[in-house]
Amino acid sequence: MIAPAAKSPAHNWAAHLRRSPLLAFMLIYTVISGGPFLWVAVMSLRTTPEIFASPYALPSRVHWEKFVEAWTKSNYGTYFWNSTIVVVTAVALLTIIGAMVAHCLARYRFRGNRLVRFVILSGLILPPQLMILSLFQILLEYRLYNTLTGLIIVYVAGHLAITVYILEGFFAQIPQDLFDAARLDGYSDLEIFWRITLPIGVPALFTTVTLNFIILWNEFLYAVVLLTEDDKRTLPLGIMHFMGSHQLDVGMLATGLMIAIGPVILLYALFSETMIKGMTAGAVR
Amino acid sequence: MTNFGPFWRTARQSPPPSALDARRASRTTLIVLLGPALVIYAAFMIYPVLRTFWNSVHVIKPHNVEAFVGLANFKELLGNDFIFWKAVGNTAIFAIVATIADVLGGLLLALALFSGAPFVRTLRLIWFTPVLMSYVVVGVIWVWIYDYDWGLANVILRSLGLGSLEQSWLGDPRTALWSVMVTHIWKWLGFNMIIFLAALYALPGDVLGAAELDNCGWFAKLVHIIIPMLRPTIVNLTVLSFIGKMMIFDLVWIMTGGGPLWSTETVSTYVYKRAFDWNTFDLGYPSAIAVLWFLIILAFIVALTRLLRQRDRLEF
Amino acid sequence: MATVAITALSKLYDGGGELAVKDLSLTVADGEFMVLLGPSGCGKSSVLRMIAGLEPITSGTVAIDGKVVNEVPAKDRDIAMVFQSYALYPHMDVFNNLAFGLRRRGIAASEIERRVQGAAAKLGLLPFLKRKPHALSGGQRQRVALGRAIVREPKVFLFDEPLSNLDAALRVSTRNELIRQQRELGITAIYVTHDQIEAMTMGHRICIMSKGEVVQIGKPLEVYRNPANTFVARFLGNPPMNLIPVTIQGDARSHQLRFGGTSLAARCWPAERLSRLDGKALLGIRPEDVYEASPRSGDERLVAITGASVVAVEPLGAETLVVLSLPGVSEEVIVRSGRESKLRPGEHATIQLDLGAAHLFDQATTEVIARIDVKREAGWPRTA
Repeated sequence: MIAPAAKSPAHNWAAHLRRSPLLAFMLIYTVISGGPFLWVAVMSLRTTPEIFASPYALPSRVHWEKFVEAWTKSNYGTYFWNSTIVVVTAVALLTIIGAMVAHCLARYRFRGNRLVRFVILSGLILPPQLMILSLFQILLEYRLYNTLTGLIIVYVAGHLAITVYILEGFFAQIPQDLFDAARLDGYSDLEIFWRITLPIGVPALFTTVTLNFIILWNEFLYAVVLLTEDDKRTLPLGIMHFMGSHQLDVGMLATGLMIAIGPVILLYALFSETMIKGMTAGAVR
Repeated sequence: MTNFGPFWRTARQSPPPSALDARRASRTTLIVLLGPALVIYAAFMIYPVLRTFWNSVHVIKPHNVEAFVGLANFKELLGNDFIFWKAVGNTAIFAIVATIADVLGGLLLALALFSGAPFVRTLRLIWFTPVLMSYVVVGVIWVWIYDYDWGLANVILRSLGLGSLEQSWLGDPRTALWSVMVTHIWKWLGFNMIIFLAALYALPGDVLGAAELDNCGWFAKLVHIIIPMLRPTIVNLTVLSFIGKMMIFDLVWIMTGGGPLWSTETVSTYVYKRAFDWNTFDLGYPSAIAVLWFLIILAFIVALTRLLRQRDRLEF
Repeated sequence: MATVAITALSKLYDGGGELAVKDLSLTVADGEFMVLLGPSGCGKSSVLRMIAGLEPITSGTVAIDGKVVNEVPAKDRDIAMVFQSYALYPHMDVFNNLAFGLRRRGIAASEIERRVQGAAAKLGLLPFLKRKPHALSGGQRQRVALGRAIVREPKVFLFDEPLSNLDAALRVSTRNELIRQQRELGITAIYVTHDQIEAMTMGHRICIMSKGEVVQIGKPLEVYRNPANTFVARFLGNPPMNLIPVTIQGDARSHQLRFGGTSLAARCWPAERLSRLDGKALLGIRPEDVYEASPRSGDERLVAITGASVVAVEPLGAETLVVLSLPGVSEEVIVRSGRESKLRPGEHATIQLDLGAAHLFDQATTEVIARIDVKREAGWPRTA
């Protein structure tokens, strides 16, 4: 590739022309990856009869009121709040409990260190299918079946491994000197965790918060097994349920999808880099 | 890069504690910090796993009706259960084909961005969006795309004058699995793309520069320099992707529910059906499937890590 | 204000076969600036960490003001430490970095404010109180680390190579600043370094360590002038002391040191000690005690050696280092010469050794052989 002549506009054009197949490919893939969301966004503002008349048209009239209707009449409001409660609580618990474990594993030598690490990180390779059936039994026995509390606890147990894995890698890089200094400054272990590890670990905590938020907001398998009542359903279940019972009401389903996507898209618009980092954090370290 | 070593190998030596050691914590500290996690883990992770193993050699009916059946579940499973074998076949096809497509496609997309195309930042943001969406959202959208009457797939075929190729994509046993697979690949390509892109940017620039001075064309550069240097990433993503697909449930369940005629049945959807959909009311048999499948996945993880650790000195 | 007494201190790390610190005893007087000097891995940092309470003591005692503190947690020892990495809390601004150690100790907010402002003023940090460490230069960070120790008004300062992350120019100025602060506050300080210039310039006394043991303790110039063994002789001074293997010949009354074609009368050292040496020893002489020959006749201490060939000449500006090969001597000899040295590589030169400043070491034990006070003896040693 000899391109020292890139300064002259003529050559520049030639270079672009030579690369036009590549650019065309990239354009097509952009449409493929982003197009479906755009389509759903458009449909969410149209009524079902309008959609069936012409599925790929732009809205002739923007029906914002569909969102109100979805929220009030179609139970999406309930689903949304259930999801919010479950995900926010679970992510908060995961963050604090995971950070406590990661701090111990990264910082302290203690008897049983390796065992604790093995037990907790083994969760990385245990498939959910291995737990789900007996979790169903156990939650029934604990009277946590069909409760948001039960789902929250299961989520915390299920995502602790990846949380600890990511946080420990980060915490282990905090220089020991800082902890020694804090110790000389008179702080106890727990205060050091609270005042040194957590504040310094904020970037890593951010990563696990986004990762856990997205995964749990989208979680389906545990929810479908452990929740059955309609007023307990989280958003993914609610959408599934709506699709089952109102299969032909495409317009309202599209509105429901937009409600489900909404928070993720909003966060993505604000923190795209953090979210990418979060989602790929388990694979890139 | 991707850490595929057995994670417990990263453990530090833990010598016995002694007073005043800067790395020692008091028993109280350890209990406070580790306690909650260990309690939750014991009750909602370890106990369920053990109980599933226990279940797998029992018949578990409602109202605490339980009977020990030894390996009967496994015998039935391996010997007579044609749906299970159908599910294994589907899962295997899915895991192999989708993994290859994910990795190659991700690499291709990453290279496209790496080649100095315009709007790199914007494009990678857009290409990554499907990764953030739930399987339910993705599934519903693609059920519409595959719809016979007004779905995009058939609409495009018709508009291209290829109306004869139109299909009931998810309704036909011959195309259903592949259609679900396309959706799955679509969702995950962006993930692989981001990892590859990070690896590409991490390549030492002077090596690429040297290759250019050696008058290497882009294709030669790709084959002789870039791909060999990306090898660890490629291998790791392949393993990650493969193991993930061995457990696939959500997308299949949402789009086809395993049908039609078991053409998209995967091991995980079959487990779910045997436990909650069929009126057999027995948790023992599906537990046996889950246990067997876990052992197979574990064997894959162990085998692949062994293999990889010998071939590539991965960073741990 | 405190004394620190270390008695028979030893440290064995878990899994380590050898003692990192062996039977170390050391007393630091009130207000004294003691430097622990030694190469990396000599155990000096372990000693410091044991004093601080960051590392458990294997055996022996550490006492502060006469009170054994072996089992006292670090936070209760009233010690402040400056780390090599500075260990500034990255999420706190300078003010809070300085105040962090005070808050825990139940000190009133107004008093904290006063002390922080005072220390910051003293160290020129007032303009930076609201900055976070990442927005500071290396020198500023170093001063914050120092300030964090100062505001604590501790009994003892511990310094763990605090200057090694600074560039050369900054190191000199910070060194002086640190000396000034310590002398003003009069707080007992223990300072760990591998840099002999820091040791020479900062310490009231220096304690040279090697392989976990104390080799020599003394005032800087005393140690420089009277090294206890070849390790100290080579470690202090740059370029290091020349060590020339010599053979000893003679009877119970008088001995000669021979190397190459040279033979020197060994009158400065007791004869009965020399007879126990198996005929071998190391003659140590500092580069500044070797002169390019412009024979100053009459000075009996100077011994001329002819036929030295110049291996290399390193003009350093203020001085010139000349590397010489003496006939029949395998070790090269370095001479610290004036900046106007005319020697060129390949030339032959005559040099003079100042035997009055020479040391003799036992080759087997590396210990120095004590000199007789030569002034009381009749006459200087002369060429045999």
